[in-house]
Amino acid sequence: MNLKEINIIVAGVGGQGVILATEILGDAALKRGLGVIIGEIHGMAQRGGSVVSHVRIGGDVYSPTIAEGSADAILGLEPVEALRAVKFANSDTRIVMNSKPTVPVTVSTGAYKYPALEEIIEQCRKFTEHIVALDAFKIAEEAGSPLVLNIVLVGALAATGLLPMKEEDLVQGIKRHVPEKFLTANLKAFEAGKHAALLGLSSHFKRT
Amino acid sequence: MYALRDPHLLLEGKPGDKYLLLGNEAVARGALEAGVHIVTMYPGTPASEIGDAIAQIANVAGVYMEYSTNEKVALEVAAGASLVGGRALTAMKMVGLNVASDTLVTLAYAGVRGGLVIASADDPDCFSSQNEQDNRYHALLANIPCLEPSNPQEAREMVLSAFEISEELQLPVMLRLVTRVSHTRGVVAFGQIKERRAGSFVRDPKRLVMVPQNARGGHMTLLEKMRTASMIVEQSPHNQIFGAGSLGLITSGVSYNYCVEALRLIGVTAKILKLGTVNPLPVALISKFLRTVNQVAVVEELEPFLELQVDAIAHRAAADVRILGKLDGFFPRHGEFSTGIVAEGLSKIVGKPLPQSYEEALKKAVQADKLAIPRPPMLCPGCPHTASFHAIRVATGGKAIVATDIGCYALGYQPPLCVGDVMISMGASVGLAAGLSKATTDPVIGVVGDSTFFHASIPGLVNAAYNDHKFVYVVLDNMTTAMTGHQPHPGTGITAMGKMAKRIEIEEIARACGIEFVKVVDPFEFKNAVSAIQEAVRQKGPAVVVFRRPCAELKVREIK
Repeated sequence: MNLKEINIIVAGVGGQGVILATEILGDAALKRGLGVIIGEIHGMAQRGGSVVSHVRIGGDVYSPTIAEGSADAILGLEPVEALRAVKFANSDTRIVMNSKPTVPVTVSTGAYKYPALEEIIEQCRKFTEHIVALDAFKIAEEAGSPLVLNIVLVGALAATGLLPMKEEDLVQGIKRHVPEKFLTANLKAFEAGKHAALLGLSSHFKRT
Repeated sequence: MYALRDPHLLLEGKPGDKYLLLGNEAVARGALEAGVHIVTMYPGTPASEIGDAIAQIANVAGVYMEYSTNEKVALEVAAGASLVGGRALTAMKMVGLNVASDTLVTLAYAGVRGGLVIASADDPDCFSSQNEQDNRYHALLANIPCLEPSNPQEAREMVLSAFEISEELQLPVMLRLVTRVSHTRGVVAFGQIKERRAGSFVRDPKRLVMVPQNARGGHMTLLEKMRTASMIVEQSPHNQIFGAGSLGLITSGVSYNYCVEALRLIGVTAKILKLGTVNPLPVALISKFLRTVNQVAVVEELEPFLELQVDAIAHRAAADVRILGKLDGFFPRHGEFSTGIVAEGLSKIVGKPLPQSYEEALKKAVQADKLAIPRPPMLCPGCPHTASFHAIRVATGGKAIVATDIGCYALGYQPPLCVGDVMISMGASVGLAAGLSKATTDPVIGVVGDSTFFHASIPGLVNAAYNDHKFVYVVLDNMTTAMTGHQPHPGTGITAMGKMAKRIEIEEIARACGIEFVKVVDPFEFKNAVSAIQEAVRQKGPAVVVFRRPCAELKVREIK
């Protein structure tokens, strides 16, 4: 299938499940017969530090990383991490971000001040109007566990209609990748993220 | 086609099946297809998943796998198996090859019998490393063939080629990986798994016993083999030419991908020579290529390894062509490349502007970057190292000079703990501490992790005992190799293949090295931990304190 390529940045904090989210996206794309390349970072960077995965679906892609200004979507599992990844955005990019901060040690030791969410969104607006921020942490808790925050955002991304794969492909991906005992919470998180984003879309997304 | 959740698919996957694999998993599959007998490694990012993947299926596959105590041992175990005709793969991160290089350079003289492939993973940008050395130079130094894949699919194919070349030349062959190949997930089509062939030892001391009179001949044999290698690489399917135009690009490995997309980004066409065999280089192929273009940009991460050689080849071939690269400042000599970085260099070379979207993104990102407060990696909640470092601070009033080592605990140098004044390489803390103690009256402490202790600190500890260096050596024993993914080590009592083994006790080793003061303490018993350090500091000679408590992450995994 020679579909236009879809470039997705997944940014978050080590331990939030950035890699799991990318694997589910990758799996779903493969199910549709689309090409996939994912650039991941393992090891030291994961110890509570910033983690960015590059997911590239369809098209004729070579590089494991996305060029600045050419992401179709940025999935920010944490507000400052979404901001750090905003250089990959252009005016058409969809930014879907969790609004609940994970405060880094540089803030708790008093060396830095965590920026206000409004400031973060204002910076992101310089790139694109298509921003939805949702409290994915709260939604995840309601779905059964704060650990499924990543899947809330995958659900929210699905709601943008940007992904070339079907919702059932993503659900299949989740089923294949999460342990049995956490499946219910993950599936709930996916649905809840989708609905939250759909509600948010009307106010935050500019229809194109 | 699926991402690999079950490592057994690496073994069960049929020819033609396609899976979404990490580059490292593709290397593992390639080795299985090549009929590998034995896989050895010391874990290290970005190479770890090669061994981790094999470890999980080794018993079923009938392959022997071990996490050796260090990379030198790993190479030697693999070489031994190869000398009786078995196919062997050893994998390590780039700095691991420094440790193994003593064996490697002379092994190249002696040669191998069964194919021996060394998968060496570089880490441009130091994602998880203490330097960003370019290991293509190790291949040049040892004078062995080196292949470099650009993606997971090629990684699988090149492992197969590497085994073939290794057996044909009877030489170890390097497979040079980088983080962006090892940790890229891409679609990999499987091939047939070959039968393993049984080997036998052929006694040949003239070839294998590297005393001077044999080593001289061994060197000549190596040079002869590499002349043959030079002919092999001219025909190699891994060297390919794409596109057309008066601008030529010479590139290899992951940089090729950035070249293709950078050309698209700036809307330029070029003729690309993509090299898969980076040592030795296909000189005739390159000479011919140079004559078909007006100017050539050499695009490669890190050192100007290809560029310097291409320059020399052009000179010898008297090719009328400009060669541009990092020597002229078009591309950086540090960090990893990206489509953007390559596009910036190429746009200067061809005099074509970068697209507006790219330039604008970079401009706008300046302010965003300022607002994005730093988030360095840190020790996990509940990490026993935090308690250990706090105990060191309290016991020494924060006055100790601390040589630390490679592992999670290196992060203890950051505020608020601030324990760690110097860190260089695996096992270096013991020697550094000994030296520091010779020129100061402040207390000196060396810090090392359990796996690193086994890896490279024992000779340093013997040295400290024998020469009576006065410092405290603190072993942070969290009973696993945490940083790289919780691989077992000799102190854990379990092997890579899941067999129970004799636990090698760190405190017993310390005593056997000649250290008289050895204490084992749980760092969560904080008062005892502090007084153990205080008592150790008061000793006249070297003292060892083992802070033992399992990694907090191991507990989390148990709960999950």
